[in-house]
Amino acid sequence: MDYIKLDDEALMRLIALAQEQALGALYDRYSRLVFSMALNTTGDSGLAEEITQDVFLRVWNKAETYRPEQGKVVTWMSSITRYRAIDLLRQRGIRPEGNRLDWVDGVSPDLPDAMDVELEVEVAQRKQRVRTALSQLPPEQRQALSYAFFQGYSHSQIAEALSEPLGTVKTRIRLAMQKLRQILYEDKFPNE
Amino acid sequence: MQVTVVEEHFFDLLPAYALGCLDGEDDLRVAEHLAACKLCRGELERYRSLVADLPFAVAESDPPPRLKETILQRARQARGMATAAPKIPWWQRVPSWSMVSLVLILALGASNLLLWGRLNTLEIRQRTSLRTILLQGTTSAPNATGMLVISLDGSHGTLVVDRLPILSESQQYQLWLIRDGKRTSGGVFSVDEKGYKGMYIKSPEPLDTYTGVGITVEPSGGSPGPTGEKVLGGNL
Repeated sequence: MDYIKLDDEALMRLIALAQEQALGALYDRYSRLVFSMALNTTGDSGLAEEITQDVFLRVWNKAETYRPEQGKVVTWMSSITRYRAIDLLRQRGIRPEGNRLDWVDGVSPDLPDAMDVELEVEVAQRKQRVRTALSQLPPEQRQALSYAFFQGYSHSQIAEALSEPLGTVKTRIRLAMQKLRQILYEDKFPNE
Repeated sequence: MQVTVVEEHFFDLLPAYALGCLDGEDDLRVAEHLAACKLCRGELERYRSLVADLPFAVAESDPPPRLKETILQRARQARGMATAAPKIPWWQRVPSWSMVSLVLILALGASNLLLWGRLNTLEIRQRTSLRTILLQGTTSAPNATGMLVISLDGSHGTLVVDRLPILSESQQYQLWLIRDGKRTSGGVFSVDEKGYKGMYIKSPEPLDTYTGVGITVEPSGGSPGPTGEKVLGGNL
């Protein structure tokens, strides 16, 4: 079977049936994303490896619970990665201040070969859209957002870290998220 | 008839809720509101999708080449798929002097497991935000939906279900808390004419220590263990 040609949902169905090659194919497709997210959050390649293992083993063990109507596979995996990385930081009392704590701008490097061309294009476009949207945020909004996203800091912890009033931090994060939503999904808000 | 009146929405707090950065009091207010407000739950999902898109913009690095094989090996072990060894009884393959060591290792392992369990409980109790678990309808109730919100210390929660089929008077729904294959009743309830019900759940043990929840159809008043069809379920 040519696993590269299968979409993510098909791979998940095969993983639920304990098809190891399907897990390998999903790994080839998204390990870089998962590992990069974990590395950016923890700043430690050992921890990032541990998180990457946890994420893919969770996919392996919980594949039968995945429901396509609840979101895309990659969305599910990126959420698991973020929560696992932040949990690990909290559990171990790590405050990796030296981390990059930011997203990157510009064009994404090459993608793994383990993707069907159509999927490859979709992922590349998604990366580009997110990067472009983030680049349009004012620096102070992006900075506050990065503390919440990468470190899992609360409003008050961010205010303390940035030496800014709590209300200012709340406003910056809300405006950043609303702007990203508007740019990425061209959404309107219910209170408008 | 049960009427839920929602006077205020929390649109401004939902972005931070999706990021998980609300402080305790705000977090609790939003979670309680979400349990009763479909509009805000819809809004929250949009922000959650946004948060899940943000990793696409992190600086990229390749994982070490050996990591894939490590993961596949652990996956095989997790499902008992390790390469079958010749079937020689294990005690014939282990030198006698190592039996004592094996017993010691097992004892240490058991004590580590106990410690791990206690640490895990402590970690759960130190959570700073509420947990929300979405429940999925089964083939018996494909339109049904539900949500379980767990308090900070895990000792109680709120269950909200919607679009469950209306049952006869002789039947009720029963919530089951699942751990190690054992099912403990979390309460018995009926739904209104829209299939909706909101219910407070008090658990003798932290809800976070369970691995799953399920809702089944049972005779009115509930059963000691699940006997009827499962209509909703979710993993903790």
